[in-house]
Amino acid sequence: MADLSIQVKEVDGVAVLRPEGFINAHTVRMFEDALEKLVAQGRFTILLDCRALNYISSAGLGAIMGLIETVRENGGDILLCNLAENVYAIFDTLGFTQLYRVFRSDADAFEALSGKA
Amino acid sequence: MKPAADPEAFRLVIPSQTRYLNLVTAMAKRASLVAGMDDATAAKVSIAVDEAVTNVIIHAYRGESDHQVEIELRFTPDRLEIRIWNTGGGLHDEDVVLPDPREYVKHPRKGGLGLLLMSRFMDEIHFQNLDGRSECCMIKRVS
Repeated sequence: MADLSIQVKEVDGVAVLRPEGFINAHTVRMFEDALEKLVAQGRFTILLDCRALNYISSAGLGAIMGLIETVRENGGDILLCNLAENVYAIFDTLGFTQLYRVFRSDADAFEALSGKA
Repeated sequence: MKPAADPEAFRLVIPSQTRYLNLVTAMAKRASLVAGMDDATAAKVSIAVDEAVTNVIIHAYRGESDHQVEIELRFTPDRLEIRIWNTGGGLHDEDVVLPDPREYVKHPRKGGLGLLLMSRFMDEIHFQNLDGRSECCMIKRVS
């Protein structure tokens, strides 16, 4: 299995990015490219569906951090859902659960976005 | 490679390439489980190891792929000790300044989070330079 694969789809005007595997210093460029491509296309509301994400290191957090201002300045946001316990622990430990909107499920995320997306 | 002198320890030497991170973190997670930690704790140890080895490859060796990173896992009845060595230079304990997560959230920027994750997920972290080698020692106690 490759260390990381990324699926991107559009759901109700939201770009849903689903990484599968590991986001670390080795794979972060692929993750960063996928995010930057969405932003370049003007897709500023991005839902990271983390159900298949085994772990994310600080390299991956930096990739998200690097784009958060841009998407918010353009009226969008980066949201997260379906985080495994260890992935949530990483975000929470660093205080990122205050910085990003984290949802238990994609359905919860879409409900929160409804009327905005 | 010399075998570890301590019968309760073993060593792995990898090239300084990020492609091997997954291998090392998987090993660290399994070792944590063998040491008696639960799955969530083992996952945290594996992240700390990812961050430490990444620091060596990216910062100590500046991304150069032809060096070696040596990782030792030592089991004691009450803890797992993980030592990571390199010859590219490293930190001393007094050099380590951890970002304040509250300030980080207020003023987000890229970088600076790896050490913070290591310190939060492990019970102890020590850095030292000895005989031209730099060591990062991380300890996780088994409760």
